[in-house]
Amino acid sequence: MSGEAELVESARAGSVAAFTRLVDRYSEGLLRFLATRTPTFADAEDALQDTFINAYRYLDSYDPRWRFSTWLYRIAINNAKRNASPVMDEIGDLPADADGPLAECIAAQTRENIWVAARRLLSDEVVTALWLRYVEDMSVNDIATVLERSVAWTKVNLHRGRRALEPEIGHLQDNERTEAYG
Amino acid sequence: MDKFAERLRDDAARIDVTVAPELEARIRASLEATERAAGAPERERKASLPRWWATTLTGAALAAAVIVALNLRPGSTVEPAIESGVPDLAAVDLPRVPLRVEPAVLTSPLEEEYAHLKSDLEKAEKAVREQLDSVF
Repeated sequence: MSGEAELVESARAGSVAAFTRLVDRYSEGLLRFLATRTPTFADAEDALQDTFINAYRYLDSYDPRWRFSTWLYRIAINNAKRNASPVMDEIGDLPADADGPLAECIAAQTRENIWVAARRLLSDEVVTALWLRYVEDMSVNDIATVLERSVAWTKVNLHRGRRALEPEIGHLQDNERTEAYG
Repeated sequence: MDKFAERLRDDAARIDVTVAPELEARIRASLEATERAAGAPERERKASLPRWWATTLTGAALAAAVIVALNLRPGSTVEPAIESGVPDLAAVDLPRVPLRVEPAVLTSPLEEEYAHLKSDLEKAEKAVREQLDSVF
């Protein structure tokens, strides 16, 4: 990404302004990602703040061989885990009353969001792998790095996740057609 | 882009989040107040495996050199009890064996994959242990 390496270098040299530009670049995508992983929207916001603070504090440990986003998402996942409630850890699902940030953000929409189905059917790690692959366009190697998993595990679980969700997409499309035509 | 990828991307974009100006201000203020941690522990950790190999091989080479030097010392040879046709080692001009040490440096992707495979194993063990705890 053009300019990103320079911004990271400036931030490493102590420029808060350069790091703030990186914050502007990544905050919305990261917040959307964190909203799928935390119990409330406020938790997602706290996790976002912690992510940027930790990234800035430990910027000297960032290895430029990695993409900056890969490193940032890894920190974000650790912060999301810290903010996860015990209920989500055990069940790996949205609460029954659906007051999680994901449900809040899509409540006004008519058709079910596939990410709600993903949270219902798949583990946190597989949802994250799918998100990083299809939304953030990360390579399998980068995803494995973020999740601290092997490339083999990542490939297998991306495939499993896809196979689990494909019928849901078909099912959701059927529902939409039924609603449209009565 | 196939339909599956398109649907996942579209639905992610439909998750309506806005970074509130208050949150932005909070993050900026926190960054101003944050002190940077010194050093690069991660890079040091990554470099430790090749360094371990290098020191091990250097140590082994040094030990081999000492053994060879001791064996080649004129006074250290044991006199044969019976005179044989074997020539005296000290008298023979042995060719010097060059001890070339090349550190075996594992490439970084392999190191990472090895660490990730270990992480897979640890996570699988943890999951099995948790399942056993919940069953029994």
